[in-house]
Amino acid sequence: MSVRQRRRSIFDLMRDYIEDIEALAEEFFEPAYVERPSWDARSCCIEPLCSVFVAPDEVMVTADLPNIDPETIEVTPINTDTLEIKAKMKRKIRFDEFGLAHRKGEFKFFRCQTSIPVSVNMNRIETEFKRGILEVHLPRKKGHKIEAE
Amino acid sequence: MTELVNIVERKTVPSNAIMLNGLPDVGLVGLIATSHIISELKLAEIAYVDSDHLPPVVVLHEGLPHAPVRIFGNTDLLASFSETAIPADAVQPFMRKLVEWAQSKEVRLMVAIGGMPIQNRQDVREPKVFGAASNKSLLKLLEEKGVEILKGGYMVGPYALLMRYCAERNVPAIALLAESFYNYPDPEAAAATIREFSKISGLRIELSRLEEKGEEIRLRARDVMKRTERELGRMRKTQEYDLPLYV
Repeated sequence: MSVRQRRRSIFDLMRDYIEDIEALAEEFFEPAYVERPSWDARSCCIEPLCSVFVAPDEVMVTADLPNIDPETIEVTPINTDTLEIKAKMKRKIRFDEFGLAHRKGEFKFFRCQTSIPVSVNMNRIETEFKRGILEVHLPRKKGHKIEAE
Repeated sequence: MTELVNIVERKTVPSNAIMLNGLPDVGLVGLIATSHIISELKLAEIAYVDSDHLPPVVVLHEGLPHAPVRIFGNTDLLASFSETAIPADAVQPFMRKLVEWAQSKEVRLMVAIGGMPIQNRQDVREPKVFGAASNKSLLKLLEEKGVEILKGGYMVGPYALLMRYCAERNVPAIALLAESFYNYPDPEAAAATIREFSKISGLRIELSRLEEKGEEIRLRARDVMKRTERELGRMRKTQEYDLPLYV
């Protein structure tokens, strides 16, 4: 069977090149990002799933916090670009409840630290807890305006 | 040549059944829904998927090893289910094989159950379910059952391929996609798809246990969700948010 190849433009080649670099970068950074447990038995903490959305006016961080008491949620700026989220569970969770009898330990908290990729005003944090999801709103710092001529 | 993906049958597979497909995707909607249906209807394990494309993983249940991707069933219903994220590189050969196998078993309807990510899902009390189908008569059936049709836009991932391969091979197929979180397990969206599936299949599926265990499922499903999110990124899943080119 013969396969006819379309003549490829410089843009196709550039896109392939960028995709190759992205794949290499993914491979390089992945182990540090994923290959660690999402729990820490020593501190009795489970890391919640977390997302960061950057909008023109604000950064919204969300975290999935099932089985928690909303009164115990703590959102703390660690420094100018890192936020810590912590919450206490309504009841302790043991490994054997996940079907893992060979591990020992119990979990009482959700805890994670998230990097904020742009400058925000950490003094004006607003939070909401809706249907098990924590929303943290951080207003972005404004740059100076340049008038268009 | 060795096949890239093999489906190994361990029990007699019924023909002319409905086949549900609950593979890891946004919100793990299909996975949660299918897992609940398997458990509620007490479907038996009848086949498993063997492939060098899948990660070297076995899942232990009561000390015994199981392949992470398995097919369950009874005399009238089959359900594919995966306990691990399907690697982006494996999705095409895997879905091609699954559809080919379903056709060989004369499956009368392939059903993809999944999620459709929306912004601010946390503000939505009752996720809406949208449908797509492999042919016009099935679209009409979905409309008759009150399912709103996904008229345009992109589908990306395992279900996109399931719909395409089914349409190519004339295997009747529908997709039921509930509004869902992208990267948080979404049992409420799973329940919404099961309600629509019940209307279409006529099967009565009790939802109370799924509704009660919602928080526990969200807690348990975190790690599978995290790995699935990574594979969805490789599939360029966010293209589903894109506006289509055609007018």
